[in-house]
Amino acid sequence: MTAIKKVGVVGAGVMGASIAAHVANAGVPVVLLDIVPDGAANRNVVAEGAVQKMLKTKPAPFMHKKNARLIETGNLEDDLAKLSDCDWICEAIIENPKIKQDLYGRLDGVRKDGSIVSSNTSTIPLNVLLEGASDKLRADFAITHFFNPPRYMKLLEVVAGPETRADAMTALESFGDIALGKEVVTCKDTPGFIGNRIGIYWSSVATVLAYDMDMTVEEADAIIGKPTGIPKTGIFGLADLTGIDLGPHVMKSMLDLLPETDALPQFVTEGHPLTQLMQKMIETGYTGRKGKGGFYTRDKATKKKLARDLKTGEFRPTVKANLKSVRAAKKGLRALVTHEDKGGKYAWAVLSRVLSYAAELVPEIADDPRAVDLAMKTGYAWKWGPFEMIDMLGSDWFAEALKAEGMPVPALLEKAAGRAFYKEEGENVFTLDANGEYQQVVVGDDAWTLADKKRGREPIKRNGSASLWDVGDGVACLEFHSKMNSLDEGTIEMIRAAVRLNKQGYKALIIGNDADNFSVGANIGLGLFAANAAMWPMIENSVEEGQRAMQSLKNAPFPVVAAVAGMALGGGCEVCLHSDAIQAHAESYMGLVEVGVGLLPGWGGCKEMVVRHMTNKKRPQGPMPALSTVFQAISTAQVATSAAEAKEMLILRKGDEISMNRKRLLADAKARALAMVDGYEKPEPVELNMPGPAARTAFKMAVEGFVAQGKASPYDAVVADQVGYVVSGGNTDMTETVTEKKLLELEREGFVTLIQNNKTLDRIEHMLTRGKPLRN
Amino acid sequence: MKNVVIAGYQRSPFTFATKGALAKVRPDDMAATVVKALVENSGVNPADVEDLIMGCAFPEAEQGLNVARLVSFLAGLPNSIAATTVNRFCGSSMQSIHMAAGAIQMGAGDAFICAGMESMTRVPMTGFNPMPNPGLYQSYPDAYVSMGQTAENLAEKYQISRADQEAVAVESHARAAAAQEAGKLADEITAVEGVDQDGCIRPGTSADDLAGLKPAFGEGGSVTAGTSSPLTDGVAAVLVCSEEYADANGLNKLARIKSIAVAGCAPEIMGIGPVPATEKALKRAGVSIDDIDIIELNEAFAAQAISVMRESNIDFAKTNLDGGALALGHPLGATGARITGKAAALLKREGKSLALATQCIGGGQGIATVLEAC
Repeated sequence: MTAIKKVGVVGAGVMGASIAAHVANAGVPVVLLDIVPDGAANRNVVAEGAVQKMLKTKPAPFMHKKNARLIETGNLEDDLAKLSDCDWICEAIIENPKIKQDLYGRLDGVRKDGSIVSSNTSTIPLNVLLEGASDKLRADFAITHFFNPPRYMKLLEVVAGPETRADAMTALESFGDIALGKEVVTCKDTPGFIGNRIGIYWSSVATVLAYDMDMTVEEADAIIGKPTGIPKTGIFGLADLTGIDLGPHVMKSMLDLLPETDALPQFVTEGHPLTQLMQKMIETGYTGRKGKGGFYTRDKATKKKLARDLKTGEFRPTVKANLKSVRAAKKGLRALVTHEDKGGKYAWAVLSRVLSYAAELVPEIADDPRAVDLAMKTGYAWKWGPFEMIDMLGSDWFAEALKAEGMPVPALLEKAAGRAFYKEEGENVFTLDANGEYQQVVVGDDAWTLADKKRGREPIKRNGSASLWDVGDGVACLEFHSKMNSLDEGTIEMIRAAVRLNKQGYKALIIGNDADNFSVGANIGLGLFAANAAMWPMIENSVEEGQRAMQSLKNAPFPVVAAVAGMALGGGCEVCLHSDAIQAHAESYMGLVEVGVGLLPGWGGCKEMVVRHMTNKKRPQGPMPALSTVFQAISTAQVATSAAEAKEMLILRKGDEISMNRKRLLADAKARALAMVDGYEKPEPVELNMPGPAARTAFKMAVEGFVAQGKASPYDAVVADQVGYVVSGGNTDMTETVTEKKLLELEREGFVTLIQNNKTLDRIEHMLTRGKPLRN
Repeated sequence: MKNVVIAGYQRSPFTFATKGALAKVRPDDMAATVVKALVENSGVNPADVEDLIMGCAFPEAEQGLNVARLVSFLAGLPNSIAATTVNRFCGSSMQSIHMAAGAIQMGAGDAFICAGMESMTRVPMTGFNPMPNPGLYQSYPDAYVSMGQTAENLAEKYQISRADQEAVAVESHARAAAAQEAGKLADEITAVEGVDQDGCIRPGTSADDLAGLKPAFGEGGSVTAGTSSPLTDGVAAVLVCSEEYADANGLNKLARIKSIAVAGCAPEIMGIGPVPATEKALKRAGVSIDDIDIIELNEAFAAQAISVMRESNIDFAKTNLDGGALALGHPLGATGARITGKAAALLKREGKSLALATQCIGGGQGIATVLEAC
């Protein structure tokens, strides 16, 4: 198999450049080439400019700015030879078969034997791309279709040609999965592959029917939103986000390629008033969020949100949708589509068409309904795939409802004959294939979710906030499952149970879960309650309990590995800081954010960050620089925007590793924990010489400067001063040593001081009621 | 008593800290280049030099370990020359000159290299390990007042409008740009690693450009980045010797030191420090401010310079003829040698009789030197 160790990307437009950036995120060197513009003084200006622009783009294509250094830029006239040692060359140039074919011919002249060439085309069939291609290229060629933005969208559609080498596909799939962290879905060579084929139909149907059925944009977004498993933007909000002007291009290329009998050309009529409205919007610059606005905008003067009236085409103040069907949807998808109000009718009209379209397309676009579900979930961020939704409705119920409506029942649905597309039996899952036979879903040892380990089993122990599971080979998993995985007494109790599992023969512990966020932190509502009742000793006790639990993780009799993904904030971050190792998903957002609620990290977070920075061998000399960094991170609630940034902040230590693919995270964490079992010794506590009051004063002076400049509030300075007190070592002197135990005492002291301040309580209350920090 | 003269002045280009052309140059290397050029250009016999006195406001890291001695080695000076590093913050290298003058008049040497250095890129203002005294900060926080705040305090005290501050900054840039354009800065500048031009001057700076800037030191404040001297990397050096020695060796005498003074003031208005220092120096010289033809007043901040000019009746028309620190930059330890050397050179160039060089000092001080034509 070709091991992909160096990548070339040709075409430095938005897609090509950000694919190159994501390859760099994987730590793999990449060559990025584009044309020489006429008369350009700098012949590499296109590729260089693209990299510079990406350093400023939000959301960031790079996981760390330094990754840009892995991209070697050049131009197609002088630098084609730079591709000669690339194992994979990804073409992402203009969607024109002739220009692409010419490029492939030139690539054949420089690329090494066994290298793979792929196209990121989203529309042109592979057989067209390969017209006139050499035998060598036919064997080495595939389509690799990324979704925008490639760092954040998980789907990677791959298409092999009839002559493509099997080992080339294996290499691409493995690189896409392990190095790039993508959900790699094998597609057939059909227009729009899976994601865009269904996604474009879905968005056309949902928007046009909204118009036809007299839904407002708010109402349509309320239905084609959370109730149908769509991100909260809704369908019109999504159009604003992706760009209204993109629609006509994509639609045209799909209509050109699809047979007239397909449901999309059947549905789309050129003269539809909504199409005309969108055309007018594009012409007048209302291309969505990147333009002057789209279906939504904000009034410039009042900043109030406006929505477009679909019939008049004019903006008006938004009116929150008030549909009983939306509330009914809490009882399930069927309750939604059978509801008698216009929202229910609209939901049925959209879903009946979209779900049967998807069912019609198997096996045309994919052999397996599960591939379709995966593609829609990872490429369009649907919560449930079409076949999962059919299961939610009941496949027999759905077929009957289609018949009752006079709509054709797709062949696959007939084959299902009332059976669910997914069924669980014991520890296994089966899915119906295109022939209507159940096939077992194979779960690899190196890629699984906790759900795969929980299926058909009972936990070792469980309460309302957390559970302990056996994940095999003597390893247990501590799962948080409270609301947003906030940490409370139940979690603490389960941590205490987890560290005693050696008595039941377990030899390692991982801490992880399948949720979007590892943990958003301690449940501050309980703290507010106790503070309102002035139960200070109780508060100090509960802080100490938390500290003891964290210390018990650190001093556990076996290795503890935190498997982090998404947010790990406050107490959630402190759990990680007290683990022996962290296995972090690349998209991990970690930080100690307690100052946002007027508190400081009281479960050992200050202590761990101080120890990490003071014992860092590469730290600058002198008593101040390392502590200044810690102080700054905690007092400004700094959150790493990737695992790579968390590593720079020393939240991740040397030896902590990053998993690019979320579904490999727990397996990687388990492997890491097992590797630490032999000869495991718990970490020795350290003693530090710290500067004490002089450092606290220096921090105080710096913060007061920010207050004077209006960059911090006076109460920020009060909170920061307590942070300064703790991270400087309290009232110590440089000639004395500070123990970890002492740092924990200081944390408790600072915490209790702050929680007795009404302004801290105001911050907590604001966070609980409004969900964002109060700047008081 | 022996007369003391300035018989040579060289400096490096002054460039922006961090983003400027000298950001990657170690300050000790930069200083050695300038000191070496001073020795060569002035014609002094190195063996006759008593001491290298180096001013530096943050003498740590690359500026640490009695950096003066290290610079003497880097510059290839004979081991017989002694070396000392002195710190009076922004007044450090004018202090070097004062120390040499005092020693010469005591008969403790004939020739001194008086220099100043600061890489504000490589050693940050406040240093790497600021560790203020907690008790002092509590009882007297102004001991640690930030420089920007002192400028705001003066603007408030003397009711100096933002527009007035900006007018001075515009003029400073215009004068510096004109001098640069006319080649008037070429003689004093020693190229360092191929860099031979000042980097902070912004020709064509207009009042409108400055009016758009945000207050730099506080909401509602009037001081901006445009009316503050920039963080700067640079070195300056002068040769100070007895007049007898200069005459005997045929050195080019630029000016005679007539009087010197230092004075303290309240730290929260440290920028006013030149006023009492100038008053003392003028009195010791037996002259009045109106007798002075050429003035070099360090422009730490426009508001600060205006306060001093108002309080000491200084005429801006004869002040900072080739631009001041708002345009040229203010590498803390190097500024004193620059303005004293510049005042001496201008006295000669313009054919005038008396000059004053003065500057303010963080913590609340002023320092001043009165020069006369030789």
